[in-house]
Amino acid sequence: MQLTDFLTLLLLLAGAGFFLAGTVGLLRFPDVYTRLHALTKADNVGLGLVVAGLVLQAESWAAMGKLLLIWLLVLLASASVAHLVARTALQKGIRPWKR
Amino acid sequence: MAVFYSGVALFLLLTLVAGLWRVLQGPTPADRMLAAQLFGTTAVACLLLLAQAFGRPHLRDVALVFALLAAVTAVAFVRRTWTVREEDDAAD
Amino acid sequence: MTSVKIKICWSSIISRLGLFALIWWILTDGAAPSWWIGVPAVLLAVITSAALIPPVSLVWYEFLRFVPFFLVRSLTGGVDVAWRAFHPGMAIAPDLITYPLRLPPGLPRVFMANTVSLLPGTLSVELGSNFLQVHVLDARKEFLPELEKVEQGVARIFGASLKDSKGGECNAAI
Repeated sequence: MQLTDFLTLLLLLAGAGFFLAGTVGLLRFPDVYTRLHALTKADNVGLGLVVAGLVLQAESWAAMGKLLLIWLLVLLASASVAHLVARTALQKGIRPWKR
Repeated sequence: MAVFYSGVALFLLLTLVAGLWRVLQGPTPADRMLAAQLFGTTAVACLLLLAQAFGRPHLRDVALVFALLAAVTAVAFVRRTWTVREEDDAAD
Repeated sequence: MTSVKIKICWSSIISRLGLFALIWWILTDGAAPSWWIGVPAVLLAVITSAALIPPVSLVWYEFLRFVPFFLVRSLTGGVDVAWRAFHPGMAIAPDLITYPLRLPPGLPRVFMANTVSLLPGTLSVELGSNFLQVHVLDARKEFLPELEKVEQGVARIFGASLKDSKGGECNAAI
């Protein structure tokens, strides 16, 4: 096994771990705001690691660029969507959970 | 490596399905909205892995469209459906 | 200085031309024949964006300096939230805090709001006229230094000072 393959393996496994954490947070956290924290941050790091792992295997510069473009797009989309959902939830009177 | 890519993709699919439980459960409309977030990231990662596993680079374009659609759908949902429906409920 | 100036900002046109051409190249996997459609598409996109979005001054050097900071912090954010999700007692103590913004309105504030959502333990909830309401996962942690650091970084990227907002010049605009 080549070094790049090994790195890809590690990055993808780490990425999968973050996706799992995102889902666990989504299921366990007590309110919509905390769940948003889990989804936006853990899933974006997960996707970032998966993209990083696949970039190492990309067949061309353009393919590499496309993977990064997709990640940036998802980053932007999920940050804006998280803000929009949290903002609307607060305006609708959904109170943040407190310990 | 192809088996490994498919394996990771399958695992992500399972986390996606588990996440859908929250979407079903709610309890607030905001919780259901999280489905868009879930699909926007997990499904995109799945497609990218499958593109690599099967040597089908065009699946990346599907992932790109998915990422775009997830963003647009979620914004449209928040701005229109959720907001309008709740106002209707309040008017009843 | 607030007079309406209709002048073409060439540096902005050239940067956008480069950016859109790069995106086209990526989308088409660098296929040469696609440029027959790509060139008109890129030109139309530049014209449309020039009509809709006024030039934004960006300090590229500062932007590049911000990238590693952002990557490291968002990775920390992922680790932080993952740890809290797996923690048996769910180590969270959420709260809403209000951060007074000193950034000029518009793109810099939106940029900051989106960045904050991806950093450890913070989620921007409401972007007001001069404040940013942030939902924090653990209110026992000190968040102000982090938010101030982000705000300063964003201000440097857009070439704005935090004291008094002034319009940027056209010489490094996109």
